[in-house]
Amino acid sequence: MDEIRQRLINCFIAVFPTLNVEHLELVAPSSVEGWDSVATVTLMSVIEEEFEIEIDPENIETLLSFDSALSHVRQGLQNASGD
Amino acid sequence: MKLIDALKIIASAPGDSSLFTVALVTGFSPLHLKSFLQAELQQLFPQKRIVVTTGLFGDVAGNLRELNTTQPDAAAIVIEWEDLDARLGIRQLGGWDSSQLDDIVSQAQMRLAQFAAIIGNLTVSCPLVVCPPTLPLPPVFTTASWQTSEQELSLREQLTNFSKGVSQNHAVRIVNAERLAVLSQADKRLDVRQAWAAGFPYQLPHASVLASLFSRLIHNPIPMKGLVTDLDNTLWNGIVGEVGPGGVYWDLDHHSQGHGLYQQFLSELASEGVLIAAASKNEPATVTEAFNRNDILLRSEQVFPMAVSWGSKARAISTILAQWNIGPDSVVFVDDDPLEIEEVLEAHPELTCLRFPSNDPQAIYDLLNRLRDLFGKASVSSEDKLRLESIRVNSAFQNELTNVDGFSEALLERAQAKVTFSAAKNGGDARALELVNKTNQFNLNGRRLTEAEWHSYLGQNGSFLVTASYDDRFGSLGKIAAVIGRQSASVLHVDRWVMSCRAFARRIEYQTLMFMFDKFEATVISFDYEKTQRNAPFTKLISDLCPNHPSTGCELTREHFLAVCPRLFHQVLEAPDG
Repeated sequence: MDEIRQRLINCFIAVFPTLNVEHLELVAPSSVEGWDSVATVTLMSVIEEEFEIEIDPENIETLLSFDSALSHVRQGLQNASGD
Repeated sequence: MKLIDALKIIASAPGDSSLFTVALVTGFSPLHLKSFLQAELQQLFPQKRIVVTTGLFGDVAGNLRELNTTQPDAAAIVIEWEDLDARLGIRQLGGWDSSQLDDIVSQAQMRLAQFAAIIGNLTVSCPLVVCPPTLPLPPVFTTASWQTSEQELSLREQLTNFSKGVSQNHAVRIVNAERLAVLSQADKRLDVRQAWAAGFPYQLPHASVLASLFSRLIHNPIPMKGLVTDLDNTLWNGIVGEVGPGGVYWDLDHHSQGHGLYQQFLSELASEGVLIAAASKNEPATVTEAFNRNDILLRSEQVFPMAVSWGSKARAISTILAQWNIGPDSVVFVDDDPLEIEEVLEAHPELTCLRFPSNDPQAIYDLLNRLRDLFGKASVSSEDKLRLESIRVNSAFQNELTNVDGFSEALLERAQAKVTFSAAKNGGDARALELVNKTNQFNLNGRRLTEAEWHSYLGQNGSFLVTASYDDRFGSLGKIAAVIGRQSASVLHVDRWVMSCRAFARRIEYQTLMFMFDKFEATVISFDYEKTQRNAPFTKLISDLCPNHPSTGCELTREHFLAVCPRLFHQVLEAPDG
């Protein structure tokens, strides 16, 4: 498993301790206990802090599934290194 | 602390332990400040499960009033500029034109007066940690950022007055702005993006620092009790055995001002009731002569004992600890020699050992700050001021005890001892709570109480508090014992009982039991006893009183007590209620 993916899993687990990491493709607000708007903002801050990237609040919906969050983080890291 | 670490700490909190509830009062969305606060407190109170409650957005006044209903164990109150007037924030567009500035100032004044009144009228008796604005003021004033405007000065003056006013309430603790400035740079605090997106105005590191300061103020750690100092190149500059008492210095002229400041600081600690001793490899007469110098700032009478010999420092510290009768975990040792420190640490690993950095002025100054943190306390009680004298008294008492022929009965009889009991259920008795939370040896069960638990306990029907003060012909020990419990008919249930180690061997514990039997007309006293690693003196008493139940607790009947109680010689007085 690549390092970025693992670090992102750690972020999700920190915010949602009961998360089933076996089925990350199913991760969504409707399937995870306690995933409300506050949890989404917390997830955003945890990811920003962990990867030292900024997520535009306009793009916060990209965090609502694991795969899209992973793509967004990869893109953010790429942009940061491109700078 | 990183946010991800805070969340992990929260997730690993013990689920089945008792709750410790903290109300976080803010006008903004508390978001990550709440998580950081919960995590920091969880680390400081590992046996509890921390719950942080929050209130309504934008309603500091209402959230403050709500404390009377929720009755938390502690409250952390954050006031930011926009809570004083929305125009001082960045989320509302109320107008910044110069004609409004005076109005903003007067609105802020009214709002602060309102907050002060609410805090003053709170019926909750838990610690209230108050943090005045930490964020920079927006560019609302007409001056450039490098000039302070008259209105800003007015606002800051009002805040100072507000903080000073509310801090008169002994439950209120104000976050130190200077300390905050050291830990959190002013221009790295505001997060404009988060403030607009989520109503949370703090950058994560700032929220983490604030939570850490709140937690320390809520936890209110017990200060250290004693300091043992080396002398040569520590208390003074130079080796007194080589240059003589007149050849050691502690002043600017001799490039040794750091030693003078250190002496001045120790003198101040001594006046606050901190025990100061010296451990030095020297000739005692030479040291005495140095202490006789008129310009010395730490006077010899402030230092007890003076352990000066050519023996090992580890052994000297053992002697000092025995005379003070306190544990090494409450004591700091300061020496300039790393080797001495290592030797001492090897013998006393629980001691806090700090190196005196003789040739580094900045490091000496930092050391003084470190010592202030280790010994810091909100106020100095009359018992604090009596401590050194009572240690000397105890030492004299013990010396006489070993010198008299036969039993100590004769000494006890000649001591002209007087015990003054108080049964006034005074929840504001800070000394009694301090005894409960500091005493290790004569301690019924080692269990501590938070301020909120203390007040809640004493607020119950049937609960009681008995305190004892002691003095004899050698001097006064001040208030040295506290018992709390509950009365049910003629049975007293004792839940906490502590007595200062300075009061041992005087049979005060027996007199206390006698007082309780009489005062409450009790026929039985039951003890919630639990053996701890350090309460051997109490275990001895409970074993003497209740030989059949030494390990788990006991019930003592009045009849049995009168049969086993030794002769008591004290004059007993009772302080009037209240």
